[in-house]
Amino acid sequence: MTVPSPSSLDMGPLTSAEAQLMAAPSPAPAALPRARQKRLRQLSRHWRRHGVTLLLAASSICLLFAFWYLGTKYQLEAYIRFKNVPTPAAVLQQALEVTSSSKFLVNVLSSVRRILLGFAIATLLGVGLGLMIGKYQRVREFCMPVIEVLRPIPAIAWVPMSIMLWPSNEASIVFITFVGAVFPILLNTVHGVHTLDRVLLNAGRSLGANELQLFWFIILPGVLPSVFTGLAVGMGVAWVSLIAAEMISGQFGVGYLTWEAYSLVNYPAIVLGMLTIGVLGLVCSGAIHMVGQLVMPWRAFVNGERR
Amino acid sequence: MTGAVGKGLVEVKNLGVVYGRGDAEVEAVQAVSLSVQPGEFVSLIGPSGCGKSSLLSIVAGFMKPTSGVVTLNGVPIQKPGSDRGVVFQQYSLLPWLTVRKNVEFGLRMSGQARAPREDAARTLLRMAGLSAFENHFPDQLSGGMKQRIGIVRALATSPEVLLMDEPFGALDTQTRTVMQEILTDIWQKFRISVLFITHDIEESVFLSDRVYVMTARPGRIKAEIKVPLARPRSADMTRSQQFTDLVNDLKGLIRSESLAAMGSELSCH
Repeated sequence: MTVPSPSSLDMGPLTSAEAQLMAAPSPAPAALPRARQKRLRQLSRHWRRHGVTLLLAASSICLLFAFWYLGTKYQLEAYIRFKNVPTPAAVLQQALEVTSSSKFLVNVLSSVRRILLGFAIATLLGVGLGLMIGKYQRVREFCMPVIEVLRPIPAIAWVPMSIMLWPSNEASIVFITFVGAVFPILLNTVHGVHTLDRVLLNAGRSLGANELQLFWFIILPGVLPSVFTGLAVGMGVAWVSLIAAEMISGQFGVGYLTWEAYSLVNYPAIVLGMLTIGVLGLVCSGAIHMVGQLVMPWRAFVNGERR
Repeated sequence: MTGAVGKGLVEVKNLGVVYGRGDAEVEAVQAVSLSVQPGEFVSLIGPSGCGKSSLLSIVAGFMKPTSGVVTLNGVPIQKPGSDRGVVFQQYSLLPWLTVRKNVEFGLRMSGQARAPREDAARTLLRMAGLSAFENHFPDQLSGGMKQRIGIVRALATSPEVLLMDEPFGALDTQTRTVMQEILTDIWQKFRISVLFITHDIEESVFLSDRVYVMTARPGRIKAEIKVPLARPRSADMTRSQQFTDLVNDLKGLIRSESLAAMGSELSCH
């Protein structure tokens, strides 16, 4: 069962004595009240379960850094060449340097603003249009041909057209980010409407829901899981598109920064740019995942068990 | 007849259902007439594919018949509505709503204020023995619990008639027996009419005042049998001679139809 027992709810925060006991290899169980023993058991189970996960995550990242460190240290040359690759220390040095001026931060914020704007527009339009296409056959028949033609065009291929189309550089980059994000969001929403269990719609109708209520109380929550799948995929594509657009046409932005570093033969800054993109992408995906869990608490359960 | 205290008269007149067009045309239901008197519990049994679920969908208003008419209290049925509570074969609880909010759903749709509808839902959940689970999500519960909630949810809007499409089909035998007793209990409290679809003969006899037997495709009414067992009914009754006789009669009627259904399927291939 997932509900914490009353005894564990009654427990206050961990005292330092308890923390010491946990750290000790074999605490004297007889000396502890029953509720505390239970709490300790829960914590140890928690650590057994999540400890391995954390350990694996940490070791994979460590391995990547070790490979990088050793490759640059011994100037590895086995088809791939580490000759020009900056060392981790150089990149760290670069990272410390850039934080002393606001240039780096301005570029990061510029990218984040573009992502948020392009992604927000893509979400509104993708989900809105997706619901309409999913629900109304005529809308689908009207919209899908255009969508099917535009969809295979990668966002990067939109760069020249986008520069011509939009009055400012900024608008054209936001547009490219939008193009990258909108199709996964739209198509997943459509899919969500189509795969929604018809029994739920019939149940709603027989409970007296009118068309508007069906849409708001059944279709909308029913497609949320698919929408969030679309958002997660869309966010990934949005970053890819944004960075490409910034490299080609940008002023400001992490992509611009990275490409500029290459032009200026500042190799550590390239790696710093890459790592920054990685971390920003991770944070964005994590945010979507967290919002998803908040908005869809019922998704934590499957067949009577917590996932 | 208990009609004086009950409500909800369902009449099906000369109903026909045809699926598909041209060569793919399949006649699912043919000239079916039946009725559910106010407060009566009526079962409809027949081999699979005899169109009994189609018939229920039409009474619920989910689909339109090809011919014939269905009325509730004399008024033709046009679309789904909360005057007919439906309990589905699959679990149909909304997974994103808690148990109590599922039960409240119909009242919420009709614009009832929060406090009274929460009270109503709690009363119904107590009746179903599920008060402790009001804040759980459906996916945290067992199949039998979900279906009990499905029943009280359908009753929350005070419908005239309850339409049940093999509601216990997915449950194990033990749970099924318990659910049948719970259903008779609840039905006796509400005194509304019930149209119950099943392919389980014992179940139909145990629950019903009357049983209609349908033929294999195209589905027609083959027989109508009254169940004179006294109420309230208990599980012990299923061992009585009267019960066994009724079940055997029905088994005889159904067997020939099941054979006919299988025969036509075999000849198709």
